[in-house]
Amino acid sequence: MVKVEEKLKLYLKEIEKNNKKGNRINAILQLNPDAVKEAKELDAKKKHGKLYGKIIAVKANINVLGMNANCGSKVLEDYKCPYDASVIQKIKDEDGLIIGFANMDEFACGWSGETSAFGATNNPQALGYVSGGSSSGSCASVSANFCDMALGSDTGGSIRVPSSHCGVVGLKPSYGSVSRYGLIDMSMSLDQIGPVAKNVSDAALLFDIISKKDERDSICVGSKINLNEIEKIPKNLKVGILDFKISDKKIQEEFDKKIQKAVHEYGWEAEKIKMHYLDFAVATYFPIVYVEFFSATRKFDGRRFGKRIEEVCGSEVLRRIIGGSEISKAEHAGRYYHQALKARKLIEEEFKKVFQKYDCVICPTVPRLPHKIGEKISIEEMFQYDALTCPVNLSGDCALSLPMKKINNVPVGMQIICDKFKEQKLFQIARSIEKLGK
Amino acid sequence: MDFLFRKLSDKDKEEIKKQVDSILDIFSDKLSSLKGNVGESFIERDDFERNENEKEKPCEIDREIMFENAPDKNKDFILGEKGKW
Repeated sequence: MVKVEEKLKLYLKEIEKNNKKGNRINAILQLNPDAVKEAKELDAKKKHGKLYGKIIAVKANINVLGMNANCGSKVLEDYKCPYDASVIQKIKDEDGLIIGFANMDEFACGWSGETSAFGATNNPQALGYVSGGSSSGSCASVSANFCDMALGSDTGGSIRVPSSHCGVVGLKPSYGSVSRYGLIDMSMSLDQIGPVAKNVSDAALLFDIISKKDERDSICVGSKINLNEIEKIPKNLKVGILDFKISDKKIQEEFDKKIQKAVHEYGWEAEKIKMHYLDFAVATYFPIVYVEFFSATRKFDGRRFGKRIEEVCGSEVLRRIIGGSEISKAEHAGRYYHQALKARKLIEEEFKKVFQKYDCVICPTVPRLPHKIGEKISIEEMFQYDALTCPVNLSGDCALSLPMKKINNVPVGMQIICDKFKEQKLFQIARSIEKLGK
Repeated sequence: MDFLFRKLSDKDKEEIKKQVDSILDIFSDKLSSLKGNVGESFIERDDFERNENEKEKPCEIDREIMFENAPDKNKDFILGEKGKW
């Protein structure tokens, strides 16, 4: 087996070559200053944990002791983490090595990876195009071969959208399966930390480690998977193909081909399904995010750490703070927030009904191709990025983005959605489709 | 809209306030067309009581780093400016 130290040095060389220079991916914001020392210590151990040999990048909104989790913002550019998040502790306990912090949209407020105060993340598979966000650096790092795997966080598609654009595997776990203790939150009723990897097996491995019950996050009950069962191809599978108008015909064509191949190869049964409340997802998602984000940002008052957020943040963060403040006003409560909570319940119930009949729902991860970095697009166009991913955050189910094909040299992914805490089945389905090749 | 990060002027901030109003109107219009009834909102779980695990490691917060992060502090407490809370 290759020593961790040797592997780490190869990754550091690649980062040196293409992060700030060369292809200018700008996926890594800060390297772990103790990485080489920690790699040597891991190599010297006689017994190794399950993550020994795996080098992991971490989204810059997850606390890693002694490092600078800046959340892609000037607000926290001098903030030093005083503790390890639960997921980081679990990774360290299993001998995984943290290589550094990955770039992200400022405070996870973004779809494209462009709102980071430290510059946009370039798409390693399609230079000049956005990588997708908000876990832009996590997905681009895996895609650019800067690390083996990464941690991201997903509130409305923030792992799955960049995974789709960068051609990697990304999982949004069921709500309550992974501890958020130590995550600098955006919207606590929707946020989940999840793995990003080069293949389904590695994503499952990292998920297995981080998805344990944690008393420090009151909603975290964990989720159990059996890694030995991931290779098993599910039989008698009933697949719901989401009937949704995809404006990009090429995405629809490639998606249809891929599904037909899987259905034919494995004898699965597939049916088109319509989900009535899906159309309300974006209008439901944003009022909830705005309100919860406004509340979450009140701690950034410049007293205990960082700077006062309203004084140094960028446009998208300010838009959400002002929006949240408006919606929170008593006279608007019935108009936005209560309506959004009602719609959320209807979306959740609709998914529940679907999973009584089908094992999974499959659709393209993103209904459009990424735009060029810096290109001006309307807010409605931007909302499209999350149209198929945010419903799953609202319902609390689990979903994974799997690389499907390249269109115009840009990767596109397919999203597989399963019922809450059915990650085992989700990984099996994804692995079966992965085996068919791109 | 331009989503690339840049420092915001007072004029930009005013513009953002206007944008927010129009975005909220879009959401409101959409949500007001929602039909369908929902019951009481509750979380469904098999077990509503958590088993506290005494063996779990306590989280260690580095006090020194915590104080390092605060811009204004005294020996063992963080200072907040007077009259602005």
